[in-house]
Amino acid sequence: MTLAATDLKAIEDAIVKLLRDEVGPIIKSQTGTMLSQQYVDKANQVDLVTKYDKQIELAVKSKLSELYPTFHFVGEEEYVPGETKISIEPTFILDPIDGTTNFIHGFPFSCCSLGLSMDAKPLVGVVYNPHLEQMFHASKGNGAFLNDERINVTARPLTLQKSVLGLEGGAERSEGPPATNFDKKMNTYRNLLREDGGYVHGFRSMGSAAMNVCYTAIGLLDAYWEGGCYAWDVCAGWCILQESGGKMVGGNPGEWDIPIERRVYLAVRGGCQPQEQDAFIRALWAQVDAPLEYQY
Amino acid sequence: MTVNLRAIEEYLCQLATEKVGPIIKSKSGTQSNYELKTGTRAVDIVTEIDKQLEKLIWDSLVEKYPTFKFIGEESYIKGVTKVTDSPTFIVDPIDGTTNFVHDFPFSCTSIGLTIEKEPVVGVIYNPHLDLLVSASKGNGVRVNGKPFDYKSNIAGMSPLVLDKSVVALQPGSAREGPNFKIKLKTYENLLSADGGFVHGFRNLGSSAMTLAYIAIGYLDCYWDGGCYGWDVCAGWCILNETGGRIVGANPGEWEIGVDNRSYLAVRGCNDDTGEEQREYIVNFWKCVEGNLKYE
Repeated sequence: MTLAATDLKAIEDAIVKLLRDEVGPIIKSQTGTMLSQQYVDKANQVDLVTKYDKQIELAVKSKLSELYPTFHFVGEEEYVPGETKISIEPTFILDPIDGTTNFIHGFPFSCCSLGLSMDAKPLVGVVYNPHLEQMFHASKGNGAFLNDERINVTARPLTLQKSVLGLEGGAERSEGPPATNFDKKMNTYRNLLREDGGYVHGFRSMGSAAMNVCYTAIGLLDAYWEGGCYAWDVCAGWCILQESGGKMVGGNPGEWDIPIERRVYLAVRGGCQPQEQDAFIRALWAQVDAPLEYQY
Repeated sequence: MTVNLRAIEEYLCQLATEKVGPIIKSKSGTQSNYELKTGTRAVDIVTEIDKQLEKLIWDSLVEKYPTFKFIGEESYIKGVTKVTDSPTFIVDPIDGTTNFVHDFPFSCTSIGLTIEKEPVVGVIYNPHLDLLVSASKGNGVRVNGKPFDYKSNIAGMSPLVLDKSVVALQPGSAREGPNFKIKLKTYENLLSADGGFVHGFRNLGSSAMTLAYIAIGYLDCYWDGGCYGWDVCAGWCILNETGGRIVGANPGEWEIGVDNRSYLAVRGCNDDTGEEQREYIVNFWKCVEGNLKYE
């Protein structure tokens, strides 16, 4: 199957409308309204799922199957670890509410993230934060937009020491020995911050992978390093990032070319030369304590 | 001396939104030439705009309140500038300077007033989000000028417990030495499944914005060391007016001054006795590894 740039733009427009009209109002009106006893435990109590995730996923899936009956669909809620695979066929990849903890606590950085992939690479991406009314959208070959404005990252140098990074605590919190992903992440954060390490300007944590990738795409963050998230957290943002001149590689050293479900990512902004991006990526990888390991 | 706190709050809101905010918004992300505050601390950033805005605020306040004292981040002299009992404006012209330089939309202006060392007026304005949060002692809190009903906001929240809370953490600009080690170890303890196991942490890169976010119910607490009176003064008053509380970052520091340099700020809860808040603070302190020390 081939999808021309005009086809992709039509899909992008349809997704924008779907998220704005049907998903955004639910997220915006229900954030912060749940009491603790309504939480459903998933992996552990930190990873919170709500009935709204399920409600949104069902609504989006049904609308997409009506509009694009031949396309596949992978959603966070119906994903089965080890079983669900992302096919090389056109596949919608949905995170109904990215930043579930934000959603539950009323912190205004929850969003809906819906992408389309083919051959395990993103082709269309839409991320909508209804609290800040930020609609990020892009499709391959058609550029990236924030609301109605084309994203143009201000041209400026990119170096690790002068950068602000997105870094998150994540849901996996068990300590070793042997060293866990949590231990490795904490050590990497320490390396990135300390004076004799990366000595970065700072890091920011907004609690949403999709928002972090989008903030990198528009150049508010210089990069976002993460392990443990899933294809639905990054698929849409990845397309937006690429279309704004940014680059996505693996979070572990040496992984220049990764599939969408790799689960360890490094997103780097545009607004600079590709050689600068590559030098930045190598400099950041040098601070990674040890490769993060996730099943995918 | 009788002081109309509500009138001062109004004036500061006007100053923040009309004079200071537009300059922060228009200059954000445009300052590639910034100074490094103290030699080696290559991540402690100050720009020309910080200085300009401090002068603008100072001039306005001196004209309107000529008898009040003024402490600002840029005019502060280490070891000399002290908070006294006199009415004193404590001002951070741009809180979140790194955000300001990088155009991350969480820089803001933070203007507070202390009387007898107690924060009694606080105004925080983020022009990127167009969010104005203000309060004065005994007069409650306003968000963008409209009364903020903190009681019903808190009534919709779960009980305040450590392992269900979202905490704000910022490593700051000192990236070596004992304080840096204590901070990172404490972060690990807070996150670990064997420790605080908090729901998550957030880092906005601005102390004032973080305190405003706690007051309006987006975050549960904020733990930090290394900041100054101007980073917390305005937010402290706002938080007080919503039933929140600020204590020291180190275990046992129940009563601290505005210039304590390390702080734990906690939101209000549905328990009028204050016991829920006290228990939260005690549990939080158990995760603090060592004692933060600042001059």
